[in-house]
Amino acid sequence: MEILVCLKQVPDTEADIRPTSDMAAIDYAGVKFIVNVYDEYAVEEALRLKEKVGGKVTIVCLGPDRAVEAIRTALAMGADEAVHLNDPALLEGDAYTTALALAKVIQGMAYDVIFCGKQAIDDDLAQVPSILGEMLGIPTVTNVQKFELVGDKKAKVHRQVEGGLDVIELQLPAIFTATKGLNEPRYPSLPGIMKAKKKPLKALSLSDLGLSEDQVGSKGALMKVVKYSLPPMRQAGKIVDGETPEEKAAKLVKLLREEAKVI
Amino acid sequence: MEVARELFWNVGRAGNLAYLIMGIAVLIFIYALYERIMMWRRGGPERRCDRAGERLWGVITNVIGQLRVLRETYPGLMHGLLFWGFLVLMVGAALDALDHYSGLHFLKGRVYLGFSFITDLAGLMALVGAVLALVRRYVIRPRALDNKPEDAFVLLLIIGVLVTGFLVEGARIAVQAKEAPWERWSFVGWTAAGWFFEPGGSLGWHKALWWIHLLLSFLFVAVIVNTKLLHIISAILSTYFRNLKPQALKPIENLEEAETFGVNRIEEFTWVDLMQLDACIRCGRCQENCPAFLTDKPLNPKDVIQDLKAAFLETSRPFLQRLRSWGSEDQQGNGEGRPIIGERISEDAIWSCTTCAACIEQCPVFVEQFPKLMEMRRYLTLMESRFPQELQTAFRNMENNSNPWGIGMHMRGDWAKEAGVKTLSEDSDVEFLFYVGCAGSFDDRNKKVALAVSRLLEAAGIKFGILGVEEGCCGDSARRLGNEYLYQIMVQQNIETMKKYGVKKIVTMCPHCYNTLKNEYPQFGGDFEVYHYVELLSELLAQGRLKPSKALQLEVTYHDSCYLGRYNGLYEEPRRIIKALKPKAMKEMERSRSRSFCCGAGGGRFWMEEHLGRRINHERMADVERTGARMVITSCPFCLTMLSDAIKEKELEERFEAKDLAELLKEAVGV
Repeated sequence: MEILVCLKQVPDTEADIRPTSDMAAIDYAGVKFIVNVYDEYAVEEALRLKEKVGGKVTIVCLGPDRAVEAIRTALAMGADEAVHLNDPALLEGDAYTTALALAKVIQGMAYDVIFCGKQAIDDDLAQVPSILGEMLGIPTVTNVQKFELVGDKKAKVHRQVEGGLDVIELQLPAIFTATKGLNEPRYPSLPGIMKAKKKPLKALSLSDLGLSEDQVGSKGALMKVVKYSLPPMRQAGKIVDGETPEEKAAKLVKLLREEAKVI
Repeated sequence: MEVARELFWNVGRAGNLAYLIMGIAVLIFIYALYERIMMWRRGGPERRCDRAGERLWGVITNVIGQLRVLRETYPGLMHGLLFWGFLVLMVGAALDALDHYSGLHFLKGRVYLGFSFITDLAGLMALVGAVLALVRRYVIRPRALDNKPEDAFVLLLIIGVLVTGFLVEGARIAVQAKEAPWERWSFVGWTAAGWFFEPGGSLGWHKALWWIHLLLSFLFVAVIVNTKLLHIISAILSTYFRNLKPQALKPIENLEEAETFGVNRIEEFTWVDLMQLDACIRCGRCQENCPAFLTDKPLNPKDVIQDLKAAFLETSRPFLQRLRSWGSEDQQGNGEGRPIIGERISEDAIWSCTTCAACIEQCPVFVEQFPKLMEMRRYLTLMESRFPQELQTAFRNMENNSNPWGIGMHMRGDWAKEAGVKTLSEDSDVEFLFYVGCAGSFDDRNKKVALAVSRLLEAAGIKFGILGVEEGCCGDSARRLGNEYLYQIMVQQNIETMKKYGVKKIVTMCPHCYNTLKNEYPQFGGDFEVYHYVELLSELLAQGRLKPSKALQLEVTYHDSCYLGRYNGLYEEPRRIIKALKPKAMKEMERSRSRSFCCGAGGGRFWMEEHLGRRINHERMADVERTGARMVITSCPFCLTMLSDAIKEKELEERFEAKDLAELLKEAVGV
């Protein structure tokens, strides 16, 4: 079975994220990058599927040079090979241009199942998998919590929805986006890490994809970020003091009404 | 009649047969020992041949002097009597032989009487020792001892040799008593003559007993290697080849090229490890000092060694077959190459260890129990990525933010900014790098300790700086959780940073950072002069550079951190600081200094759930409670957290508090 995983490298959840001084971009200096948390579930599910039915797991990643580190992590977990869409022109795009580039390369590959994370934890857009599905002309099932193969051309999946569960059966090929609860991603073993260094990792440029500069990156993007800013600092809390509970309650009500203006 | 004793008296020419039997027994012994040595050599290499003088001195004090054995009164006395008794008897037998075969014939007259008295006394000592052993093993039955048929066999054999020896002597004396009244000097034999034999004696009985004594003695020689008596040899070897270095885990060389990491097959241990398996006599002292065992966890260091020994013996069988057929049979036998983990040692046992080193500290024959578990952890973590779930988070946190808490690495120096403590990037012209560590940098309770250490250093006029955001986790937890790869990455990063600033001297506040920086970083080219604050502050107090002005109006006790105490011998320094605090009273816990009971956090256990058995920190807190002191003083961030947690969980806040030594000294100095 040919299994693809779309992977994104994102800043660590604890990283100190701040905009550049002109607020036009994010200043990534000194930031530690990791594999997008939901993509890890996707990699893990792909590996489990491969371990069950055999086949090959290929990582497809769009990102700058540093994204190689994330790709190697996925290879260390057990993926077989990787394709890295690495071209300065591809950066600064949006969900549409990213999906377009991914679709271009995936169209030339064999695939039965494509796993993605349900969203990237940096921009939180959650759009690429669905757009990719449209472009490839295959269904996309989001928020998958349980994945089972039925026969060899069908899948049965559980989706978490508000207050319940969707159970969906569908024909492959299809895209599935992984969410928490799907599995517990493995920790790469040291032999895995060492082997990963020798696994095939193919870097593709814009011309390899057969796309032009106007179609991708900031030029091709349908959506533009106007400004990045940090949320306002939270104010320090206040402790209401008073002799008696009644006095405290009276003060609190006054504060809520006059200062916080919530009642 | 001459005042002497005739060898082979009453036995005649048949006595020559004894030489044949002795020859067979000695050959069996030598061949079995040869096989055993070859079996030990199945293990990997390890260099333990340096510092011969020190090694020999250890043998003299601990084997001949029985130093470690004597730490426990009853079993110490029991073994001492047996050991010294037999030692004298052996020397006696050798002198007897020399006397006979050299033709010098010096054992006569007064010398003979003295000789008789001393050997009889030695025999009696050994007999008393053997009886004490019998009583301990079968009447008192302490938990530390498990009983196997072999134990009874060996004890009865020893008693048999000694008793028949005295009976032979008694039988001879019964016959000779009239002409040889000086034989009273052989006081045990004389008594035996009176008790067991008719006046005039019986030559027949004498002859029969002589043969029985001789056969039992040679049986003893023949079975040494294949019974627990092997420790007569292996304990000497394990003492000689003991670890002389401070407690440091061995580095895995060539992480990039090696194919397997850690140990899951018996032959992956070193020859020293395998030889130690044969030195263990199942005395159970490790077990009785193991915090995991004492809180009902599925780890017993004695069982670990014995289970590994069972695997060692089983997998040696096909090896021996090949050895005996001179290598012509090239078969892979049963059990060879079988995994240890899961089959012999449970994963729960492997992960229960706190690396407190009490097992090594208490072992009379210097077996290194827990480092073997560390090798198995390495296998599980590096080869199989199999470890308790919660550790994945800890590993990821160390990978991504260089601290097990997973707090953003950019926040590492925040406590210092507020406190005005400078980093080396601001001013690198300092005497000391204060290596704060993760706890002091990220844990709110321990940030106060980091601040206290800084204020004290300032007060004493020490020029120091911290690394701030450039500091990385020391890696102690990663290494002891088996993640050598992660450990080495962090070590290299730290060494690089420290060298960049030309760091020469380091002071730490965490004994775990201290131990790895001091004893393990040199494995990777990090040669720094490393101190824990207890060393530095006690020195500054002695020099009068810190002057405590307030007395501590409390009764206190001190909890020895394993990594300061047992690992690095820092027992007196913290106590000197406590003395300077002038507490109302310093009440030592029953388990203190080298017998200190772990808080439960070492070996990366701080980052793991404690699902099994009772909680180690609660157990330790009970020790504190028993002293009647109001305050338990620590000098380790893990211990401080574990004991503070125990106080909270046991709802003892009203009666007890846990404080770090540096905090108290800061208050006393008034800075």
